[in-house]
Amino acid sequence: MAEKRPLTDTELEALFSAAASDAAEPSEALMRRVLADSDGVADGWSAPAPAQPAGPGLLARLLSGLGGWPGLAGLATAGVAGLAIGIASPGALATLSSGLVAGEVIDDYHMVDLLPGLTGFFDEG
Amino acid sequence: MVMPFDSLNELSDEALLVAFGNGERLAARVLTARLTPRVLGFAARMLKDRAEAEDVTQEAMLRLWRIAPDWRQGEAKVTTWLYRVASNLCTDRLRKARGVGLDEVAEPEDDRPGAAEGLQARQRADALQAALDTLPERQRQAVVLRHIEGLGNPEIAEIMDIGVEAVESLTARGKRALASALAGRREELGFEDG
Repeated sequence: MAEKRPLTDTELEALFSAAASDAAEPSEALMRRVLADSDGVADGWSAPAPAQPAGPGLLARLLSGLGGWPGLAGLATAGVAGLAIGIASPGALATLSSGLVAGEVIDDYHMVDLLPGLTGFFDEG
Repeated sequence: MVMPFDSLNELSDEALLVAFGNGERLAARVLTARLTPRVLGFAARMLKDRAEAEDVTQEAMLRLWRIAPDWRQGEAKVTTWLYRVASNLCTDRLRKARGVGLDEVAEPEDDRPGAAEGLQARQRADALQAALDTLPERQRQAVVLRHIEGLGNPEIAEIMDIGVEAVESLTARGKRALASALAGRREELGFEDG
């Protein structure tokens, strides 16, 4: 068996040139896909700038300012409670407020003065 | 302004890309006709699967369309940029394919008509491709770009992101490996046995 001599440069060149003229031809479908992509990209440039996405509506902004739905629930509860207290106008409430305003019924609330030495600072004069 | 196709055909790739970036859609048609076959030819030599080579070509061209508005004439050659993108896409696919068993890799289709006069050229091209497929990826890439796509070493160096000397070394080693791999097929390829 003859010794296997590597191909010469000239022979390799012949193979390269055969390969160069045997390049894969793009199919029509591929050319269409590539062109469609170019149109798609160009469409993107010519289209008017996309409108700014609408921000949250007034209600949503109010809601978020109040701390979302939990905040609103708390606010509603407080509102209803306030209304109920206002309508019922319980006597105890009058006592409480008059006690605070008048400053004479503090003991009624069984409060303990933990720092009696400070009492002097509150004295007028 | 719409330019006639013929006058566009005379422009360089770079000028056409800038024109496309400025909204001249016809420029994309000229570029598609000019560049798609080159990218596909290269991708088909790097990847065994024709469908994958087509996907790579479409993706590389899509990236070209997208970069058009930012393209600055004189900074780079469109073909260099495109080969580089295609190279990277091929490398990614080859890396993924390495996880697939050899049996699962699709065999290259060979249903092309074999006209008698072109038979030897076809045999030579096929034998070369088979030998190319056995080369390490970087050697294959350098040999294909240098000897089949006909690019210069400095351009290949830019595409492969290596030095010119490294390109020379890769192509020299690749050619030696091809010459040895094909030694046993000398007669079949129409070369005189020595």
